[in-house]
Amino acid sequence: MGTLGKLQALRSGELSAVENLERFLERIEKMNRELNAFLQLNPRAREEAEEVDRRIGRGEGGRLSGLVVAVKSNINVLGLRATCASRTLEDYVSTYDAEVITRIRREGGVVVGMTNMDEFACGSSGESSAFGPTGNPSAPGYIPGGSSSGSAAAVAAGLCDLALGTDTGGSIRNPASHCGVAGLKPTYGLVPRHGLIDLGMSLDQIGPLAPDVHGLSLLMECIAGKNPGEGMMLEVERVSYELEGDVGGMRIGVCPQFSFLTDPRINEVVERKVERLRELGAEVEEVSIPHLEHALSAYYLIVSVEFFSATRRYDGRKYGKRIEEVCGEEVLRRIAMGSYISRKEYRGKYYQRALQLRTLIRKEFSSAFRRVEVLVGPTVPKLPHRLGQKLSPLEMYAYDYLTVPANLAGICAGVVKAGEVGGIPVGIQVQGPPLGEEKILRVMRALEAGA
Amino acid sequence: MKIGFEVHLQLRTERKLYCDCPTNYAEVPPNTNVCPICTGMPGAKPMRPNRAAVEAAVEISLMLGCRVQTGKPLYIQRKHYDYPDLPSGYQRTSLPLALEGSLEGVRIREVHLEEDPGQYDPVSGSVDFNRSGIPLVEIVTEPDLRSPEEARRFLRSLIRVLEYTGKVRPEAGGAMRVDVNVSLEGGGRVEVKNINSVKGTYRALKFELQRQAERLRRGERVSRETRAYLESQMITVPMRTKELEEDYRYIPDPDLPPVLLEEEWVEEVRGRMVEPPHLRERRLVEKYGLPPASARVITGERELADLFERVAREVNPLFAADWFRTKLKKVLNYMGLRAGEVGFSAEQLLSLLKMVEGGRISPEQGELVLRELAREPADPEEILLRMGLLPLGRGELEELVERVMEENREAVRDYLAGREEALNFLTGRVVRASGGRANPREAVGLLREKLEELRGKGQTS
Ligand SMILES: [Zn+2]
Repeated sequence: MGTLGKLQALRSGELSAVENLERFLERIEKMNRELNAFLQLNPRAREEAEEVDRRIGRGEGGRLSGLVVAVKSNINVLGLRATCASRTLEDYVSTYDAEVITRIRREGGVVVGMTNMDEFACGSSGESSAFGPTGNPSAPGYIPGGSSSGSAAAVAAGLCDLALGTDTGGSIRNPASHCGVAGLKPTYGLVPRHGLIDLGMSLDQIGPLAPDVHGLSLLMECIAGKNPGEGMMLEVERVSYELEGDVGGMRIGVCPQFSFLTDPRINEVVERKVERLRELGAEVEEVSIPHLEHALSAYYLIVSVEFFSATRRYDGRKYGKRIEEVCGEEVLRRIAMGSYISRKEYRGKYYQRALQLRTLIRKEFSSAFRRVEVLVGPTVPKLPHRLGQKLSPLEMYAYDYLTVPANLAGICAGVVKAGEVGGIPVGIQVQGPPLGEEKILRVMRALEAGA
Repeated sequence: MKIGFEVHLQLRTERKLYCDCPTNYAEVPPNTNVCPICTGMPGAKPMRPNRAAVEAAVEISLMLGCRVQTGKPLYIQRKHYDYPDLPSGYQRTSLPLALEGSLEGVRIREVHLEEDPGQYDPVSGSVDFNRSGIPLVEIVTEPDLRSPEEARRFLRSLIRVLEYTGKVRPEAGGAMRVDVNVSLEGGGRVEVKNINSVKGTYRALKFELQRQAERLRRGERVSRETRAYLESQMITVPMRTKELEEDYRYIPDPDLPPVLLEEEWVEEVRGRMVEPPHLRERRLVEKYGLPPASARVITGERELADLFERVAREVNPLFAADWFRTKLKKVLNYMGLRAGEVGFSAEQLLSLLKMVEGGRISPEQGELVLRELAREPADPEEILLRMGLLPLGRGELEELVERVMEENREAVRDYLAGREEALNFLTGRVVRASGGRANPREAVGLLREKLEELRGKGQTS
């Protein structure tokens, strides 16, 4: 029935928050063993849903009014385990609510549980969790994508209304594409990060995953906006989006660098959608991001240095295990790389160079956005591999080729299902300038409606 | 010998540097002034640096004559190292907020803003994070000092400057940490860490001077190294090599925007700034003609100098300065009071000084009143009354003198026989008999008068 229909049913009393929760819990009970989307369920969820029902009775249900939200395991929820799907934090129980969780509770959302993910969000397949890989409910036998694998899978399998993911280099958009759901990486600094366990602090953003674009918009309206206590936030109080606008006359950019290395079957699905936008009256124009191919290496240098710094606290003293002794190989690889390139003697050589490339890419996007309002293109350059198939690190990093530029540039980017290739969902990526969320959501909504 | 300093002192702010926790860490049970931010919990993000702390650091920079780095992004750096008191595995330290100042001929290289780590107790293995995140100012000097004595004097001057702002915690409370680098001609530069007092600094330097000179004298090398000062044994020892090879892997903190110091705001701070003590000391010498030693003592505390300048408007500054340096300072030291803590007003002190200056009471009596004033502040007139120190009338004094002469005939005879010292004895008796109310000068005068009168009579009779 879609997010808005569900919200209507909850508000009218046709469906109670408790009933809504229990239906999901039943499905989770049946499907999670296979899917491994949730690592922990919230033992207090029923109590919380009852409280929301009382609030709805008083007309104070909030914007979410009992919608059920799944939370990625790198976001702190008081009393639940934010393990980051790592042995490092397997005994860590959150002592506080992340700012986004506080806001979701305020709006009457019910946290159902903590979802699976790639360990410390270092991965693009959902396979690197210390607690086993996540399945892809939309393409069984294939990876769901990552790192927000459990959140995307939970939405795709109908195990929650909405989910929180995090996106440092594509971790919301990549699994959204592979699982055929909608996802949004907000502009850097629009959604509070307080309570989000770090991967690359200058790139990380929390964002929504949902079955439809209205779901993304609704969750954004609840979680976005300035947190006065936080250092790196934009001066935006709250957001509110109008999705039903016309895309006729909109200037939409396509970029040859996006399709150059992409599987032709994916390009074909995307091109059909671009054609559709043209039919709706959009003006499609070609723009160029000449240094796109350098984004991936700049990204991995920056993320490794920041991740190295962020993981120094896991020294074994406070959380029981020293990260280097218990983590998986991808996490270890990034820590080692970060440690190496941040050495005094190499700083100028790698890290500074990466920051320069980042500035360059940011400039190229901003000049593209002077010509067009949004950019559309593929999300992931290749189709997901089969679960368990061994990939080299470089083959794995290639998944991120088209998603990391948005994080480097700090812009917003969303994904909505565009079609399928051989039964596997393919998402189309819509990127917009900083704070261009309403524009990209509108285009995504038009694409979704015209599917 | 070349000596340079890195001095860290805690800033006195209500809140910590990157969170809202209170800063009275010593007054509360362990781990109560804490939150996810200052305990480095996974996911916690720092708040922008506490404005009051930035302002304090800027004010200190200005007092030290530094060039404040206005209009450019000053990044907060993460300095990584592994120690139990460091909950995130890194300490945040700003790029220099100010450069190139000077204090009493010593060049100040730069001033930073830092955060304090927690307190680790190696015996119990526990960490108290109450102190974690308290703001620190770090002042780095050039190696411009030449002896342990010079270094000690400079450090005292520096602390005086910092305390003048009223924005640091007193050095005596253990809120100071000093790293000192020291080298002798022909030897490598040795850094000594882990010092937390002026006295400790002096002892560490004395020890190093001796140790390095001895090695050089024997023809041995003094290699570049880092040593730790052991307070209990008053010696320095080499630090473990692991600590030496540490690479802090500085990166700009991605969770914080750079600090921007606006020209206009810095000028505002300058406008509010108090006069730095070293400049004030010089001005007191020039304006009032004070001896340098008195000026140094009076400017030792801002409140003391304020008090002085208030009374110097109405009594002779040299007289006042002498009083401050000898009597007032003595009384305060005796009572363990800082000038900022005294209960009496400048007006009360002034009225006391006027009594002494005008000769209404003797300096000795004045000192008694001052003690009382410090103990239990009141109007000096009232104290005089209360202590029975109201000066004797001429008639009363005359009666006393006569009585004393009557009771001490032998001394009178001695005086008349030409023994001048008998006069002192008799004066003492008069003052004692008056309960301290008699002004000794007046008593001597009257005694002499009466004795001479007697001599005249004796010769005629
Ligand atoms: Zn705190």
